[in-house]
Amino acid sequence: MDAATHLLGGFAAALSLSNLGYALAGCVLGTLIGVLPGLGPAAGTAILIPLTFNLDPTGAIIMLCAIYYGAMYGGTITSVLINVPGEAASVITCIDGHEMAKQGRGGVALGVAAIGSFIGGSIAALLLTLMALPIARAALQFGPPEFFALMLLGLSLVTGLAGRSLLAALMMTVLGLAIAMIGIDPVRGAPRFAFGLPELYDGVEFVSVVMGLFGVSEVLLTLERPYREVIRTELRKLLPDRVEWRAALNAIWRGTGLGFLLGLIPGIGAIIPTFLSYILERRLAKRPERFGKGAIEGVAGPETANNAYANSAMIPLLTLGIPSSPTIAVLMGAFIVNGLTPGPFLFQERPDLVWAVIASFFIGNLILLVLNLPLVGLWARLLYIPSHYLCVGVLLFCIVGAYSLKQSTFDIWLMLGFGIAGYLLRKIDFPLAPLILGLILGPIMEKSLRTSLEISAGSYLIFIERPLCLGLLIVTLLVLASAAFNLAPREVREVELN
Amino acid sequence: MANTKRLALGLAVALALLPAAVAAQNFPDRPVQLMVAFPAGGSTDIGARVVAAIAEKAMGQPMVVVNKAGAGGQVGWTELARAKPDGYYLGYINLPATNTVVLDPERQAIFKETDFQPIINQVLDPGVIWVKADSPYKSLKDLTEAAKAQPNTIRTATTGILSDDHLAILMVEEAVPGAVFRIVHLAGGADQMKGVLGGTIDVAFDNVGSIVPRVKSGEVRALAVMDRARSKFLPDVPTTLEAGLPNVVSSSTRGIAAPKGTPAAVIKKLEETLAKAMADPEHVAKLEAQGLAIKVMTGAEYQKYYDETHEVAKKYTEWAKTRPHK
Repeated sequence: MDAATHLLGGFAAALSLSNLGYALAGCVLGTLIGVLPGLGPAAGTAILIPLTFNLDPTGAIIMLCAIYYGAMYGGTITSVLINVPGEAASVITCIDGHEMAKQGRGGVALGVAAIGSFIGGSIAALLLTLMALPIARAALQFGPPEFFALMLLGLSLVTGLAGRSLLAALMMTVLGLAIAMIGIDPVRGAPRFAFGLPELYDGVEFVSVVMGLFGVSEVLLTLERPYREVIRTELRKLLPDRVEWRAALNAIWRGTGLGFLLGLIPGIGAIIPTFLSYILERRLAKRPERFGKGAIEGVAGPETANNAYANSAMIPLLTLGIPSSPTIAVLMGAFIVNGLTPGPFLFQERPDLVWAVIASFFIGNLILLVLNLPLVGLWARLLYIPSHYLCVGVLLFCIVGAYSLKQSTFDIWLMLGFGIAGYLLRKIDFPLAPLILGLILGPIMEKSLRTSLEISAGSYLIFIERPLCLGLLIVTLLVLASAAFNLAPREVREVELN
Repeated sequence: MANTKRLALGLAVALALLPAAVAAQNFPDRPVQLMVAFPAGGSTDIGARVVAAIAEKAMGQPMVVVNKAGAGGQVGWTELARAKPDGYYLGYINLPATNTVVLDPERQAIFKETDFQPIINQVLDPGVIWVKADSPYKSLKDLTEAAKAQPNTIRTATTGILSDDHLAILMVEEAVPGAVFRIVHLAGGADQMKGVLGGTIDVAFDNVGSIVPRVKSGEVRALAVMDRARSKFLPDVPTTLEAGLPNVVSSSTRGIAAPKGTPAAVIKKLEETLAKAMADPEHVAKLEAQGLAIKVMTGAEYQKYYDETHEVAKKYTEWAKTRPHK
């Protein structure tokens, strides 16, 4: 009842003309990012943050969230038409989606992906509405020691699951935490690692770092990739026939459940739900040999799971302040840039904003359905833009964006530096997600650690004496141990290696 | 001959002085920036925007509020101290926070307290000691007795290291020998509220302006206002003077300063314009609606207050640095 009242209030705010406009703009930009190969959701969201600087926080967050799920939606188009995923979570869609396009059923593949995404996303948003408040209320019991343990858990989850090597992931986490320490000490006020540069007193600018690490490095990587041929497929027929429809619908229900549940677990990442859904569909299929040859379930399931995941991953972010994927970490950075800290207190401090944003998820899902079904041909055209033009545009956008942060050229150099660093790290296969997570969670973690120790007059027992905190620490240890001893389910590990 | 020489000299001097005099007379002939060293929406920012909107009408030039937040105000004050002293860049100084940034060697501030020319004080927000509504401490005496009986156990929140609230805790410890608080530095009033309601903080030191609505709603109890007279916003709360601790007087003040070296005529003009704006009924009504107590001080009075605050801050900053219970 409570949630319904809040959600209605949220709709009232989200349906204002300006907020509707921001949601629409975000969906269009997000789809664009998803469609343009090489520009993933994390990079796209990062480079678009400066666009929202002049908006009020509600409008800014609505637009950035719309960009995020727009990108998750749009990636399908490139997977189907050129066999290149627009973003990593659409990798699996390439298999059967591209096959369908070759058989002239590309329109149906895109249509069923759009419908599945709409169903999955909307149901996940509905469950988010029902679950957010109870979780946030429970988390209000958290004091500084629990928050410290929670941040540690958040870091360990992503560290344990991201990338090939646990060591590399841990190194990147620590690097992120170290970069987060640059600037004025939050408690004692002394400058740390600022090398006497006043520009660094407030820490490295998060937006410059993510634009560099994701945006600039993507541009550099794209320049290396060969040109891919675009399939001209039949896009007039978008809806599957009756037999296909039945198979697709079942895959959509299963994808919704799977994506939603996995979204609740921080650190799963956006790729795993799609892979697990594909594997599930293949196992349940009566004729599994159809998979890889254009099976519609192979598109419907994963695409639905992808969007159900994208919406339910907002639950740990909004209620606990834990980002579950690199893109969500960038989104969390955008919250912080706007002076908002995601977490249980956000529901108390800015209920108007939180509920307007949640309501905008429903609106966004509907906008995306409209954008994708009738307009899919338009998006497909974008694929003909040669990537070298695109690279120049993205780079220019990044530079202008970095400068606009504080009208300082220092931030441009910082961004370019991180861009080159990101490129090199990706070349040697070091994951960037743990670095971003360390950077985002570092300041919150440090503050809660130090406040805890001030409360206990320096005694570390405070972390063990409080049962909730102890529980969180034990879970953290289990996660790290399972990562170290490869205890994750075999299929999850296979996905990691792909 | 001698006359001509004297005339020429006189003319030369007059010509040399003319630009300065004209500059002061024409001041301001372009927009004046008013720096606030804290984010938009905070109570310093609210006060700045109210007074700027009124003053700019009288000045005939826009008065633009610029937020240069960061490092507990240090970023903004560094900028103010280094700005060109021509009256076109003014800034808010928040005493005693501006002083303690200078006084704490760890902060490595590159400006001194003498780099500012105080013009006019706007707000004096007295300190207040408050607890949760169901706390066992019903009065300031209950609290200090407990801090004496079990030293270094009562978890006491500031709104930041070397803030006026931090210094106020040390004042209470000085006034009640044997009382020791366990000091926890939080980022501000919102964090204090979370800590107190969540049970990790026993008592909080903050300012009247941040707590009035919560006291009125009965969520929290104010034990004492750290002033010599009762606050008009919390008329039922006793002062530290009434509680027998007359030396515990602490507040946070917000005033406007210029970089040192600004021409006296420009300062005079600004002082007059701003004083008039602060006496405006609209200014008074808007600030009081926020629970902010107006206290206008100008000229020698404000300079004296500034110097005295600096001395008090110096004493307690040194103590804070050498206190065994960090």
